[in-house]
Amino acid sequence: MKRIMLTLLSVLVLGLSMLTTAAAQSKGVVYYLVPTLLDEFQTGSVSALEMFLKQTGYEMKTLNADNKTDAQQSQMNDVIALKPAAIILAAVDFNALKPSIDAARAAGIPVVEFDRQITSTKSDFTSVAGTIEIGHVAADQAQAMLKAKHSDVKGKILQVLGDPGDPYTLDIQKGFEEKMKAFPEVTIISVPAMQWEASNAGTIVSDQMLANPDIDLIFLHAAHLSVAAVASLEAAGKKPGDVMMMSSNGAPVGLDLIRKGWLNTEVEQPLYAQAAAVAMFMDKIAGKQEIKAGDYDVLGLKGVVTIEAWGPNIKIPGAAITKENVDDPAFWGNMKSPTVAIKSVE
Amino acid sequence: MTPRTRKTLEFVLDNLVWFMLIVVLALFSALIPNYFQIGIFTNIIEASSVLGVMSIGLALVIIAGHMDLSVESVAALSAMAVGILFCSAGIGLGITLSPEWLMIPASLLVACAIGALIGLFNGFLVVKLKMSAFIITLASFIWVRGLVLAVSGGRSAQDLAPAIRWFAIERFLGIPLSAWIAIACFLIFSVMMSKTPFGRHLVMIGGNETAAYRAGIRVTRNLIIAFVMAGAIAGLAGWLLAVRTSGATANLGIGLLFNAFAAVVIGGVSLKGGVGALPGVYAGVLLLSSINTAINLMGLPANYTQVIHGFLVLAAVLLDTFKQRLRQRLA
Repeated sequence: MKRIMLTLLSVLVLGLSMLTTAAAQSKGVVYYLVPTLLDEFQTGSVSALEMFLKQTGYEMKTLNADNKTDAQQSQMNDVIALKPAAIILAAVDFNALKPSIDAARAAGIPVVEFDRQITSTKSDFTSVAGTIEIGHVAADQAQAMLKAKHSDVKGKILQVLGDPGDPYTLDIQKGFEEKMKAFPEVTIISVPAMQWEASNAGTIVSDQMLANPDIDLIFLHAAHLSVAAVASLEAAGKKPGDVMMMSSNGAPVGLDLIRKGWLNTEVEQPLYAQAAAVAMFMDKIAGKQEIKAGDYDVLGLKGVVTIEAWGPNIKIPGAAITKENVDDPAFWGNMKSPTVAIKSVE
Repeated sequence: MTPRTRKTLEFVLDNLVWFMLIVVLALFSALIPNYFQIGIFTNIIEASSVLGVMSIGLALVIIAGHMDLSVESVAALSAMAVGILFCSAGIGLGITLSPEWLMIPASLLVACAIGALIGLFNGFLVVKLKMSAFIITLASFIWVRGLVLAVSGGRSAQDLAPAIRWFAIERFLGIPLSAWIAIACFLIFSVMMSKTPFGRHLVMIGGNETAAYRAGIRVTRNLIIAFVMAGAIAGLAGWLLAVRTSGATANLGIGLLFNAFAAVVIGGVSLKGGVGALPGVYAGVLLLSSINTAINLMGLPANYTQVIHGFLVLAAVLLDTFKQRLRQRLA
């Protein structure tokens, strides 16, 4: 009995020492406060950040706020008490999280804004694709498609937004509409799909296609909404190519729809690059070192760091995915993790 | 008041929600461009299929004097299970059966069985262990949605097997088969509630559980069956949801619970139990669907649609309260 107890104790000690060694090898724990795990971009962001941070020596833990601002505020308070190397925040609500960001920084914990830019207070680093820019890219694509159809930029666009309470979709709308303003002959009908729920988008598309049968282009603010929209079109007897379609975020389902001919364009959010940029700068962020403005190569894309009033900000442009380039493994929707190892910025 | 006037008034009150539906449809048709067309009315019927089926299960439990807040999440889990098993893209496993039509009963069985199991779990805790239906089913609402997220990993399933999708594409009298399923459900369950001892017992239990028990009605058994049925029907609603959207996403069906409650209340079911009939619930579902369609067509600024939706539902419920008061005066 004594021998068994001794053996168990030594195994326990050995295990603990191995754990301590592993912890010693890590540069620290970084907490990622993800707004929701109900869409593919967010779940993709967890695995991408975890993978890239591991490559640069950090351990990452994730907390899901389930799209609830108060839950995310509580998570911030809890994480501040744990004193991690840094907090990565994709805010549910931009303004409501400002006091929590200030509290974390006052406690000496660097805060990184991921995907959702907060400009009302200072943070240590921001990595965004630029939702307004996604709207601009979408507008360029829409112009090209309408011109190809009518030999002029004119016609009717149905814009299916996500939830009107989410600044992500409102910014895309803003970017899209501000660039489309130059074309007065284009009518844009905007309807929100409440809670980003796919069947809501399906209903909107079937209703609008009856009320406005002359719709030339449907622009949906997320790929998963396109799936339901396509289901509605299919039920109405439409075939791929009958109505031009475009969506944004570059999720796998969107890429599949391009391959099947339903979607003309998907405006990608460069998920891998956005996550890689955070990992590249994490040593500087955690070490509270200066981050210099300039161009940086992030997984082959040109990321531009600017020093803004709210801190260093890297913006990586989203690309338009079409039938020609849909199989490019660089797009996160193809679910092929980049093989290039991330190196910390010197 | 003459007996004839009283009879007419009572008929109007009994079917007020149907009259409200006609008035609303007439108003929207007159005021909203392009609303008045067969296609839009078909859309209203089609869009109400999922909510309608879900409302049946919810109404059964409420009429029996309890509550089931889990129906929305149960529908989402059933849709995700069907999506994972029978979709060929995304996280779908693309399971095929030969002959292909076998996928229809198989997917239906999966969806309804999942719902029935969760319903049994809820019913056991509520009826046997005498725990609060509100708390138990609220817990189920949360953990079942969590399970959707866990099994899907937040990803979606796409491209449902054509044999199952057939129900969303094929039409009979211009209405998709999926909507006919909802109509058939309303007919079957309406007959069950009004013509069978089980249905009448549920109403009696909801009215006064103790009196029903003393009258020799098997209260425990009937209530557990009601919870199992509500779960299975929610599973069917999930199956319809998957059929309608050709797959499943982790947030599929979010918000349906509150609409189902609104439809049930507008349809004349008392939240206190013991009062209500399913045809009224169907009219409530159609009314909500008509309002949603109007909002979709009006092109309102995105930020205001929820406010308008809320006020329109409130107006419908206020009218229903007015109806109850008028009925009391008549009695």
